[in-house]
Amino acid sequence: MRTDMAEETIPLKVARYRPEHANEPYFDEYRVPYREDMVVLDALNHIKDEIDGSLAYRWSCRMGVCGSCGMMVNGKPRLTCSTFLREFYPKRVVVGPLRHFPVVRDLVVDMTDFMEKLKEVKPWIIRKEEKPVEEGEYLQTAEEVDAYKQFSMCINCMLCYAACPVYGRDHEFLGPAVIALGRRYNLDSRDQGQTERREVLGVDWGIWDCTFVGECTVVCPKDVDPSAAIQREKVATTTDAMLSMMLPFKGRA
Amino acid sequence: MEEQRLDEMSLGDILDESDAREVKRRARAAGPRQHRLRRLLRPEPLFWGLFSAGGFVAAFLVPIHVAILGIAFAAGWLPSRAFSYERVQHLAHLPLVKLYLWGLIALPLYHWAHRFRFAIYHQFGIQRWRRFIAVACYGTAIAGTAIAAWVLLSI
Amino acid sequence: MSKGEGARYPAYVPEYPRSWWLHTGPYRRFAAREITSMFAAAFSGLLLLFLLALSRGREAYEGFLRWLKLPAVVAVFAVILVAVLYHTLTWFRLTAHIQVVRLRRRVVPTSVVITGLLGTWVLASVIVAYIHIWF
Repeated sequence: MRTDMAEETIPLKVARYRPEHANEPYFDEYRVPYREDMVVLDALNHIKDEIDGSLAYRWSCRMGVCGSCGMMVNGKPRLTCSTFLREFYPKRVVVGPLRHFPVVRDLVVDMTDFMEKLKEVKPWIIRKEEKPVEEGEYLQTAEEVDAYKQFSMCINCMLCYAACPVYGRDHEFLGPAVIALGRRYNLDSRDQGQTERREVLGVDWGIWDCTFVGECTVVCPKDVDPSAAIQREKVATTTDAMLSMMLPFKGRA
Repeated sequence: MEEQRLDEMSLGDILDESDAREVKRRARAAGPRQHRLRRLLRPEPLFWGLFSAGGFVAAFLVPIHVAILGIAFAAGWLPSRAFSYERVQHLAHLPLVKLYLWGLIALPLYHWAHRFRFAIYHQFGIQRWRRFIAVACYGTAIAGTAIAAWVLLSI
Repeated sequence: MSKGEGARYPAYVPEYPRSWWLHTGPYRRFAAREITSMFAAAFSGLLLLFLLALSRGREAYEGFLRWLKLPAVVAVFAVILVAVLYHTLTWFRLTAHIQVVRLRRRVVPTSVVITGLLGTWVLASVIVAYIHIWF
């Protein structure tokens, strides 16, 4: 093990949950060598490699694009690969599993609920008729791409779910990322599945459960702005409903 | 409990089951899903539209009215004829003024009803009687709207 | 310590605290924002009482005006004023966030939209005040 002279260290308090030993979660304290360029994920990797190999957590790309390493850092949902220790040094960093999800073990949460909801909203291009391959690609102008691009940046990290008190209170709520992705496809000029998706989004536990707390937008690491997506979907749905009441034939908003 | 099946299930399946069960338990505690209307022709867009309009009126017009009626008058900052019986009677007889006052009173009630309804769901955590709570909130707003119309018409 | 093949590992699901809205700054500000709707509705009620007194004749109306001058009543109105002003501020912030305003293909920043809304609000208030007091 490499030891530098007068090595700086930073204390970490990490949540543990080991159901084969105890029914309740508890905290373990570690001391990790500190460098200015280290992120929380580096600290966790150090713990696993050098101190306590039993620590369980998820990570993958370590550069903020895969969405695997979402955890609670000092009470806020963060990507541990993008959260620098220098933000907290020399104070203690508390790492916990992503809030509002069942904890499987230590820092690993069960994502099933999110994955099922994601499927419900049909996050793919829906066409009434597929264009045959010989006719070539679907073309889009730059403006058409801009219309949905922001909402397509979602990496499914679920930080927004950890921040959303509505989801915390009521797990039926579809949630920020799912609705934002629904809107992403509704806005895509290639897509013809708006009606189908609106049936999924326009229910009690869809867009209407959101009260625009806005924390999802604050914590999103990719600036997807899910709260704006949800409110705009409310506006579009309301306008649609008004138009279809005033006009006998279907008006699209 | 399906103890025998556990030997054949992978860890992934076991976790899926135990937590899908937890998710379902919470959903059941929140109220039976099938009782909630799934039809597209739901009243929610209407309620949200009214909430929006009410919020707009409350944001743009209510502050100045509160300041005038509640603070400026009592502080004596207004000319004496501003709130004289004759003048106010005259103004309140104008149809345009009646319409304006009706909107000023009624719309913020729907804004309150919508926000209060969801505050009860989320902040007080009462999920069980969702339908009743919604009816009570919007009902109050509708009652207020009706009473306001009646009072304005009787001036 | 293994429980053998097919061991069950129950997930830990903490109960969501009822007081969640008191736990962080942003949640508290959200709760305050939602509560302002009660004060706006309260003013609707008070305005209705004012008009009710008006409809009952001169005596009732002037009695109501006397009631308006009571310090306790003024205090209530002061609280309502603070609440609806907070509503106005937050409502404009939310509106600017949702509504993308485009000026010749460039997106107007939210701070500019909010300033525009506030300016319109001041103008509207001045017009209302003029009609209410001097017209």
